[in-house]
Amino acid sequence: MSPRLKQRWARLRAFLRPPRTLKVTRVGRTYLVVTFGVGLGALNTGNNLLYLLLGMLLSMVVVSGVLSERCLRDLTVRRVGTDAAFAREPFAFRWAVARKQGHAFALTLAEADAPLAGEGGVGYLRAGAEHLVRADLTAPRRGPVTLTGVRVTTTWPLGLFAKTRVLPLPGTLLVYPRRGYACRDPGEAVRGPVGDAGNPRRNDGTGDVTGLRELADGEDARRVHWLKSASQGKLLRVEREREERRTWVLTVESGLAGEELERRIEEVAAQAHRLLDEGHDVGLDTATQRLRPATGIAQERHILRTLAWLGFEAPESDEEAAA
Amino acid sequence: MKPGMRLRLVLRDLASGCAFASMAVSGQLPLWTLALYGVALVCALAGFRLFAKRARLTALLLLGVAILLALNVLNGALNIVVAACAFAGLISGHRLLSAPDPATDGQVHLSGLLMVAGGAALSGELVYGVLLVAFGVLASVALALGVVEAAVPEGEPVPVRSVMPPLATGVGFAVAGAVAFFVFFPRLNWNMTGPRASPGFGEPTTGFSNTVRLGGAGTIKGNPRVVLRATLNPDPGVTALNAYWIGRTYDIFDGQEWTTAGGVRREREAMLTLRPGGDSLVHQRVELLPAYGGRTLIALETPSRLGNAFLNSTTGSRRTFLQELSGGEVRVLETGLGYSYEAYSLPPEAGSGDVFRRLPPLEQDALLALPEGMDPRVSQTAARVLNGEREPLAAAQKLATWLQREYAYTLELGGNVDDPLADFLFGRKAGHCEHFATALTLLLRTQGIRARLATGFFGGERVNDGYILRAGDAHAWTHVLVPGRGFVTVDATPPANRPSQGSRLLERLLALYEAVESRWRNSVVDYSFRDQIDVARALVRPSQPDDAPAERSKLPPPRAFGVALVAGLGAYLVWRALERLARRARPLEATRFLDAVEAQLATARLPRAEGEPLEELHARLTRMDHPLASTLTPVTRRYLEARFGGRPLRPGEAEHLLRALRRAVEHWRREADKAARPPSEPRARAS
Repeated sequence: MSPRLKQRWARLRAFLRPPRTLKVTRVGRTYLVVTFGVGLGALNTGNNLLYLLLGMLLSMVVVSGVLSERCLRDLTVRRVGTDAAFAREPFAFRWAVARKQGHAFALTLAEADAPLAGEGGVGYLRAGAEHLVRADLTAPRRGPVTLTGVRVTTTWPLGLFAKTRVLPLPGTLLVYPRRGYACRDPGEAVRGPVGDAGNPRRNDGTGDVTGLRELADGEDARRVHWLKSASQGKLLRVEREREERRTWVLTVESGLAGEELERRIEEVAAQAHRLLDEGHDVGLDTATQRLRPATGIAQERHILRTLAWLGFEAPESDEEAAA
Repeated sequence: MKPGMRLRLVLRDLASGCAFASMAVSGQLPLWTLALYGVALVCALAGFRLFAKRARLTALLLLGVAILLALNVLNGALNIVVAACAFAGLISGHRLLSAPDPATDGQVHLSGLLMVAGGAALSGELVYGVLLVAFGVLASVALALGVVEAAVPEGEPVPVRSVMPPLATGVGFAVAGAVAFFVFFPRLNWNMTGPRASPGFGEPTTGFSNTVRLGGAGTIKGNPRVVLRATLNPDPGVTALNAYWIGRTYDIFDGQEWTTAGGVRREREAMLTLRPGGDSLVHQRVELLPAYGGRTLIALETPSRLGNAFLNSTTGSRRTFLQELSGGEVRVLETGLGYSYEAYSLPPEAGSGDVFRRLPPLEQDALLALPEGMDPRVSQTAARVLNGEREPLAAAQKLATWLQREYAYTLELGGNVDDPLADFLFGRKAGHCEHFATALTLLLRTQGIRARLATGFFGGERVNDGYILRAGDAHAWTHVLVPGRGFVTVDATPPANRPSQGSRLLERLLALYEAVESRWRNSVVDYSFRDQIDVARALVRPSQPDDAPAERSKLPPPRAFGVALVAGLGAYLVWRALERLARRARPLEATRFLDAVEAQLATARLPRAEGEPLEELHARLTRMDHPLASTLTPVTRRYLEARFGGRPLRPGEAEHLLRALRRAVEHWRREADKAARPPSEPRARAS
């Protein structure tokens, strides 16, 4: 079979087997039972009014199928994603759903084939307008979650059947470890405050300028010295003395696995969150990666991302596709 | 409560009300269930959910109701189907008063479905059809609003107005689909056990008793209720039939009331032949409705044969037998809500064909009997009016004309007097049909002319293909025995007062309802496999008109217009679909456009880096101030917009841009070739 013929055959198969699934709701089951009973009664007695009622009930089933099909047609869904997803904590997730023509009603969106619990709904989707659907999702565990598509379900118009269509939309959602309560103390700081005097080796404070160095990935761009950067042709950041902050390097010991590893990761995440919240520098040392101590939200993200990938094969790029 | 939820609940409650009403129109539900459900519905519509807090405890009330209904069934006071329907209604009422939640909504709709199914078993009325559609529409809207409401995030309004148009379209299609299913789904059984009659509301107002008593007080009401439907063959085709429909005759008058001599003549017959018929009999298919209230069969005067009788009850129809009594009365043996039967009658202008000597002796004697102590002025008056006329029919007509001229018609009764006839003839000089008929009969008898009183109906109002009689059409007239013709009808009542004397507006409204009801009955309730075959035959081979070719219209038949309309509609829909297909944004159009641009640029043989995208090439050419850069600018911009900016290429835009690019590339190639060509050197010319 030539490739072109194969392609046509695949198209025909896809056309004959539309990506829809149909599930009868609880009300729908009762409805079908009553319809069956009315049908039996009509056939048994020959009562024309029962035939009329049966016709009405069956027509409503057909109309329900047609209207729900129209609802799921021409839909486009885009993942807006989430700011941060933590394991076993509800996090706000968003999809942008739109329809070129025609209206849609009672749509429920969820991630298909992903261990994410929760769904979002939209009552009325106007034609041509993009609607932002919000949902509180929950992930059972940390790590990358492979997203294959978005499941769109509607029970429109009568709630008898739930018709579902999965819109393929591949992506990855990185779920950060839960920031549980840290039982253990983070230990001694690597560096502490040295009286009132500035330490020239601690160069991320708000004191006097100590020098310039190349801006590393993820560092705050506000530190860039634009004049020097322009003259050198590369981004240079200003280093200043600091006086009060301490520096911790948190460690996830190698050799941990399973539940033990998860517990340690959650603990480190919680410690990092607390220390960074207090304004200290925090670094991370794992068996595979080492993060230089730094402060701020960006650093917390780096730490959480690193912890989330621990035990998984990290991607080449450092970005979450879905988030 | 979300905005729109209140509306949904009202619609849900109204749907339930329609479902209950579809059962209630049968008139079979116990009155206390009607009252209980009515209270529940009114409370629910007013927003008082009385059982919201103690739903389980109040469910015990249902248990009590169930026990009560079961006792009624065991006592035989209630049909089990009726009891089940009543219980479904009360469950629905209980749920209406409970707190609204998805489970309760589902139970209300489920009980509604059960109630309309019960209504189909109890009632065959047109009102049922209306209520069924109303239930379907209301329940669908309520369900749809519930579905949308569940999907709308908390705090957002339910888009009620947006829901309605597509839902209305859907419900319209559902009703059309139901009709199509009803018409075309093959009926697998021939016997119809659907309800043929329901008692309805109100007591029957006519019927026949064994006597006709003159006197009484008050006013006779012109009751417009329909009591009889009949189709005639051959069909007279007239709007007002103005025919006499006889029930029975009376022979003996005792001064106060008419009775009949003799008793039961034939006990149990499927078909009764009262008198020999002929070739020109009028066939009647008659249905006596529950409003009739009697067992005496009615037929056009003068009936020859009656039979093929069916008794209609709430549970269906079954064959029954007939009984013949004296006075020509034919009764159904069993009592039912209504009856249907067939009758054959002699043509109206012919007499009954009865021969005096063949009549039973008792009846022979009674035809000239006069009440004891009758006022002698009656006989004197008759002799004076007849003035020697002895021919029975002429004498009867002469007396009838005299009565119509000299006496007034009134529906006011004269009260109980000792001699109602003398009171009518010489006192009030006004009365109703029974007074006129009694007077004529006795006036004739005083002169030795045999006559008797007949009662039944007068009239016949055309509705669709048949005729109806109302309770107010009840009438009395006189049979005069004419030698050689038998009994001949002579009516002394003034012609204008013979038909029903009820309100014309009410009668018209009821006739309109009866016409619709008749259509409903013929098209829905009595629809059968035979009708389906007729429909199929009409679709395949439409019936040709009986008209002569000369009278045939020159226009194409209506079928051709129908086919043309359908074909036109189909062509329009195909055109719309093709247009939509053509307008549809093709997938990967921007990529295809890029491929075409790349192909054009390849012919230009521009130096390009490996994997250099179009935008970078354009930037490079612009920096180089290349001649193609200006042409490439809109191409690059539109490609990027189409692919990433959400602005797809308009129809024909890609071709236009590519055409401009092709021209620019060709021009540039020509210029480049010209520039690359070595300049022509001057040739030496030998001189």
